Amino acid sequence: MRNLVCRIGSGAGFAGDRVDPAIRLAASGEVDVIALECLAERTLLPALKARAVNPHMGYDPRLRRRLAPLLPVAHANSCKILTNLGQANPTEAGNEIIRLASDCGIRGLRVAVVHGDDVLSLADKIAWDRPITGTLVGAHAYLGVGPLAQAVAEGAHVVVTGRVADSALFAASAIAGLDFGETALAGALTLGHLLECSGQLTGGNFEPIGGELLSAGDYAKLGFPLAHVYSDGSAEISLLKDAPGRLDVETCTLQLLYEVHDPSHYATPDLVLDFTSVHFELLGRNHIGVHGAGSRGVPPTLKVSGFVEMPGWIADVEIGFAGTRALERARRAADVLRLRLAEWTESDLAIDLVGVDSVLRAGALPLLARPAELRLHVSARCSDLADAQIVEDEVYALTLSGPAGGCSLRSERRPRVEVVDGYIRASHVPTQVAWSTS
Amino acid sequence: MKLRVGDLAVGRAGDKGSVLDLTLVAHDEHSYELLVQRLDEHTVARLLRHSVPGPVRRYTVPALHAIKYVAPNALPGGVYASLHPGLHWQKAAIWLLLDLCIEGAEVNLPKEACEGRTNES
Repeated sequence: MRNLVCRIGSGAGFAGDRVDPAIRLAASGEVDVIALECLAERTLLPALKARAVNPHMGYDPRLRRRLAPLLPVAHANSCKILTNLGQANPTEAGNEIIRLASDCGIRGLRVAVVHGDDVLSLADKIAWDRPITGTLVGAHAYLGVGPLAQAVAEGAHVVVTGRVADSALFAASAIAGLDFGETALAGALTLGHLLECSGQLTGGNFEPIGGELLSAGDYAKLGFPLAHVYSDGSAEISLLKDAPGRLDVETCTLQLLYEVHDPSHYATPDLVLDFTSVHFELLGRNHIGVHGAGSRGVPPTLKVSGFVEMPGWIADVEIGFAGTRALERARRAADVLRLRLAEWTESDLAIDLVGVDSVLRAGALPLLARPAELRLHVSARCSDLADAQIVEDEVYALTLSGPAGGCSLRSERRPRVEVVDGYIRASHVPTQVAWSTS
Repeated sequence: MKLRVGDLAVGRAGDKGSVLDLTLVAHDEHSYELLVQRLDEHTVARLLRHSVPGPVRRYTVPALHAIKYVAPNALPGGVYASLHPGLHWQKAAIWLLLDLCIEGAEVNLPKEACEGRTNES
């Protein structure tokens, strides 16, 4: 006997994700909670920098763009919101949500802020995968469901946090209603993992055998998934009735194994999950049942992402070529640059032909026709900005002293950032829930 | 007969830190068994080494007709340290597998075996 525990909508799969699908889910009245995943690895670094400049910043700068249209609709439909858009500053994100609620005329909105992921001050307790050679500018642990589920159980309308496991963010609202034991929890966490990438479960970033694409109109209005979670941890995933998309056993299986390494040992903060026994069942059009995830127990540690700034910059510079013999001229230009930039070692300099083999390199498909136009791209690790300027200037100098017709130039610099994985004992990471009300 | 892997399976690439993971989900049991047989760890490591560094580990999930290839050192320093043009080239890395050509017991890069076939469109 299984009971319906709650109905969860996937409202965002990364910080820049579309805003409108979550509004459609909230407005439908068919979900009790919407989870918004807004914190990829890449997102945290600018947030940390923003917080260093202004202690009131460091949450997702898109907070108002995303929540101003969503919050009133969710509130009117008794739909909770769980999100990690607090990024590097959940407290200030919570304050901004209270201000937003007041601006929208919403009174009595209870906002819970979950703290604890920022473990930079505990750096001596973190075991890193490899030695850190640059400057460690941030260290954030992936929190589990505990504090999020507590906030939901205590009546939060909005839960906002920073780094948290995506599986936990999407499963937290179901925890209180699950049967006792690891099997039901494993099912809910597995569902959380399935929902965390929004449209990637429902036909986005998916090419079926045969290559038939969704129409542009369907991609443009792609529905995000929702799920009914049951007390035994099983679930049914679907799309809103009028939402375009494709939800089938193949889209679900690809998402189940997405960014998973050993499918029999997928570590989340709450359980190590075994996906090898998961079963998907097609229940109807865009309607999938899922059950059968296994558990291999509670892991002793939480994963930590460390952000390391390395000295120097990467220069990215491009130049275009077009017309008859564009490929020959671009290849010759690349050889010119190899001569002019001889001080750069092979491992610090990449010169690629965009449109030919710049992505897959030796694995690229053969060129069956000469490209009508293409771009030559240079990326170079540089010890300082003066060296980056040399790289730019050498590419631009091709327009006067290189093969004919070098055109359409662009140049950028990016700081050198590396992400290092580490582990910390969960018992070393205290979490707190702080409350405020509009 | 030449078979393109992408005609037997759907796929997607993912990444975590320096780890590249490639997932294939075969269309049916027969395709799954063929892929398990032909795309062993050694063969895939040999084909991928032209594009990404380091070893490759394979995991199979028979109940889901799924195969994973995990290359732990394929993205040194993570995606932001890459010198490929633009960020996240690795999202296209699944085509390193989808465009492989199976011919009898041979598996080859498209350059060597599938020329003219996989570029039809």
